[in-house]
Amino acid sequence: MKRNTLVLGITLFILAAFAWAGWANWQYRKQAAERAAAATAKAELANGETADAMFSSSPLLGKQAPDFQLQNLQGKKVTLADYKGKALLINFWATWCGPCKLETPWLVELAKQYEPQGFEIVGIDAENDDVKPSDTAGWAKDKAAVERFVKQEKMPYPVLLGGDSISKAYGDFDAMPTSFWVDRSGKVIAAQMGISSKSDMEEKIKKAMQ
Amino acid sequence: MIGIAFGAAAVGAMAQAPLWQETKPAGMKTEAVRYLYPEQVTLTAGKPAIVELHFRVAKGLHINSHAPKDTFLIPTTFSVPDGAGARLVGAQYPAGVEFTLPADPKTRLNVYTGDFTIEARLTASPGDHLVQGKLRYQACDETQCMPPKTIAVGIDVVGK
Repeated sequence: MKRNTLVLGITLFILAAFAWAGWANWQYRKQAAERAAAATAKAELANGETADAMFSSSPLLGKQAPDFQLQNLQGKKVTLADYKGKALLINFWATWCGPCKLETPWLVELAKQYEPQGFEIVGIDAENDDVKPSDTAGWAKDKAAVERFVKQEKMPYPVLLGGDSISKAYGDFDAMPTSFWVDRSGKVIAAQMGISSKSDMEEKIKKAMQ
Repeated sequence: MIGIAFGAAAVGAMAQAPLWQETKPAGMKTEAVRYLYPEQVTLTAGKPAIVELHFRVAKGLHINSHAPKDTFLIPTTFSVPDGAGARLVGAQYPAGVEFTLPADPKTRLNVYTGDFTIEARLTASPGDHLVQGKLRYQACDETQCMPPKTIAVGIDVVGK
């Protein structure tokens, strides 16, 4: 009886040792594989890797642009209806977005160039940084950054705050910049996720003004 | 055999939520940065020690380095919350690589791509602590940017 217990104990010990060795071996291999991959991985960004990033489709195309009511930097409420009868470019952007900063000078020039023909741009800031509605300090910080950006870029067109609250209606996107071109009847005639080019934006403006 | 059985753990595929239905650009709601290792470190309790934290940026994306060239850009930052059993004394960030957007070859950004390592200087209390560090970053591809994000960096810190 005593001998059987001893044999059983030794057997269990050996099995446990095998199990531990197997687990340790797996852990070692896993970390070694990660290290090997880390050592061989190249930090590169080849052109065309995100070929579909230049995105110009949207479920809103051909539909009426969703209405919104947001505040501008002066605290005044602005709605989509305020732009009735105008060709409009709705440009969602954020202060932390490099491509947004890159396309802003194009927008500034295009706004000035086509305004006499009944075209307007409205910039909608969507910081998407999880600031809660009750976080007044967070909102003040975001607003200050937006004001600084607007001043630095000399943006002549209105900029509205709180774009995250309407991004769902505009297709549930979170990537910036994202733009929608709206014709004089209020219909979305073009959309662009990500930066394209000034000439591409201008073509869409012309289409919106037709 | 037992080892093989233990090693047969499956790795789940990352779920991708649609952005603009099925026509969305790939990758914009995927995890841009993944923490690789170490899962566990043993440190001399009460004595600062360097722990190398390895991360990987998803292919085709870049994140700002710790010292981006524009004040509007969000720097990559590692932090450890108070009372975690290990204290972050300091962190050494790698130098970023220069990167230009195709739409603006003149402007040089300072970014991390591929794999990068942060040397965190940690002081551990005696005992076994599951430390939930945080990495805050903001990722972009060549044409668009994702919102800033904070991911958990889980490390089992043993202070002896």
